[in-house]
Amino acid sequence: MDQFIEQIVTGLSIGSILLLVALGLSIIYGAMGIINLAHGEFVMLGAYAAWLFQTKFGLSLLESLVPIFLVVALFGWVIERYVLSLLNNRPLDTILATWGVGIMLQQAVRLAVGSELRYVQLPPALSDSMEVLGVPVSSYRVFLFFVALALFALTWLLMNRTTIGMKLRAIIQDRSVAASFGINARRVYALTFAYGAGLAGLAGALVSPLKSVSPEMGTGYVVDAFMVVVLGGVQSLAGTVASAFILGELSGAIAFLQNDTVAKAIVLLAIVVLIRFRPQGLFTARVRA
Amino acid sequence: MSSKLPTFLGLHRLTAQIAPIVVVCALVFALPLLLNNDFLLNKVARYLVLGILTVSLALSWGYGGILNLGQAMSFGLGSYAMAMALKLKTIPVHTGSGGLPDFMVWNNVERLPWFWVPFKSLTFALVAGIAVPALVAAALGWFVFRSRVTGVYVAIITLATMVVLNLVIIDQQSYTGGFNGITDLAQLEIFGFAFDAYGRATYYLVASCVALSLVVAFAFTKSKAGLIVQAIRDHESRVRYFGYDVAAYQIFVFALSAAIAGLAGMLYTIVMEFASPTFLGVPLSLSVVVWCAVGGRQSLVGAFLGAVLVAGMQGALSETAAFLETWTLVMGALFVLVVLFLPKGLAGLMHTLWQWLTRRRQPASAMVQSLEQTEGRI
Repeated sequence: MDQFIEQIVTGLSIGSILLLVALGLSIIYGAMGIINLAHGEFVMLGAYAAWLFQTKFGLSLLESLVPIFLVVALFGWVIERYVLSLLNNRPLDTILATWGVGIMLQQAVRLAVGSELRYVQLPPALSDSMEVLGVPVSSYRVFLFFVALALFALTWLLMNRTTIGMKLRAIIQDRSVAASFGINARRVYALTFAYGAGLAGLAGALVSPLKSVSPEMGTGYVVDAFMVVVLGGVQSLAGTVASAFILGELSGAIAFLQNDTVAKAIVLLAIVVLIRFRPQGLFTARVRA
Repeated sequence: MSSKLPTFLGLHRLTAQIAPIVVVCALVFALPLLLNNDFLLNKVARYLVLGILTVSLALSWGYGGILNLGQAMSFGLGSYAMAMALKLKTIPVHTGSGGLPDFMVWNNVERLPWFWVPFKSLTFALVAGIAVPALVAAALGWFVFRSRVTGVYVAIITLATMVVLNLVIIDQQSYTGGFNGITDLAQLEIFGFAFDAYGRATYYLVASCVALSLVVAFAFTKSKAGLIVQAIRDHESRVRYFGYDVAAYQIFVFALSAAIAGLAGMLYTIVMEFASPTFLGVPLSLSVVVWCAVGGRQSLVGAFLGAVLVAGMQGALSETAAFLETWTLVMGALFVLVVLFLPKGLAGLMHTLWQWLTRRRQPASAMVQSLEQTEGRI
């Protein structure tokens, strides 16, 4: 029984990291139709920013979260403004362009700070462990779970309860009609992309104490995050949350029985089979045609 | 329009399209006459193999509209098939007949795993190097195209499948050589003739395969199936309304592309003398996309030359100390610029230049052009 609960809790922890990384990707794809292959590099930038703020300015991880969000969002804004906005109506080419941007970011970081592994310290207040349902869990992982949920709630509110969110939804429905109502699609897109990038940066900063920070760290995350978005169904934030936790629990459970690699292989095969029968993903937002 | 004119124009266009293939193949075969250095020749052979791989991607991406971000998976499967056979040839030397490959001995494997056994036959390996990637692609294609998954999802699924296979190969060290790959191979020997990686024979083997794959790919694009595949790329639903089984054609071009990539993988093992998990890694797979985009995804010769030029430049610059660090940065920037400003790659640029030059000379070519375009749209 204890082991079962431990499994559930591990799965939740994996799921919350997946959610953190996939949330920004999901918004960018859902709203703009852009497959952002530089997403992993935004995650990596966030992790490096966390390391930089910690070692150079002596800020703790929690204190530096807001500046990290802003810095990575700025990167996103510049990239949208000067690269992606030139690729209107060429969705497949955005894959290529964002990948090109991704390798540039990777190499730039390698040139700037070197390719050796870096480590970020846990926030002191969250470095011990606590009991959840009778199972000892590191406090930091519990914290991540709640941060992931909070960021999801914030994003949902932004999309559904603010003017900018309303404008974005109007553009998604029909861009030309939205434009004729005076909505500046260019600016809304730039803000959306910047917000998604900022979320990825936060994700990177938040996972940085759990793993070593390296220029290549983003590649692994981006594939996982795409799996979440594909499984959840695009344009469905709720689907993203649900599939992040389903995948988290699934990988946790299979990894317990086998090993991480086998878990990954089985989860992927399951997704490919699922796509055969439900290409629109598990959860689909109802769209009025 | 008289009935003879379109045929004449068609023939004229066919000649214009075959000419670059003939020129490139002639250059590839003539190179050893100019280059009297086995080390350099081996390096060129390596780039030619990458060229074949890129042609295979141009087939599925440029002509079929299927962006396969996991093209290196087929390449790697071919490479491992060849390496497994060549590894088994060394066994009597290393561990006595009936023994095991050295890395299996180190990992305390007792018996040769079942999937290694058929590779004792070289013929089986040669067939498997092409058939296994094609079958894997067909199976994946069945899942993907039968459920009408398109565009970006195909890209992501292919990428993810490759990543998983890569992880499995690295993880199952005792059966696959893990991170080190399969090294220390015998030379390929056919009818008692050995192919030394640094020998002329190997270069000509690669060159013949360049010609073969260009011709096969070109013939496919001109066949009825190839034309339907291109029509699907442009107007999938229209082709479906005509009653064609769209998924079947997509699966076919996907598998054909994988088969050619598998052939390239086998050649790569012969030229490099090992197989490594990096051959089916994300960096190589995405590099192929870059080469294809830079050369021109809708031109077989363009894609081939794109690979040879960019990979060759990459090789040369990364050996120069000044560019060792910055080269990747330059390549990323180059790639973004090509995507932004040259969506049809260098081949497209050449085509535009050629059009511009000929239009000045003879206005009639404009008519040919518009006829070609109508025909191309089917």
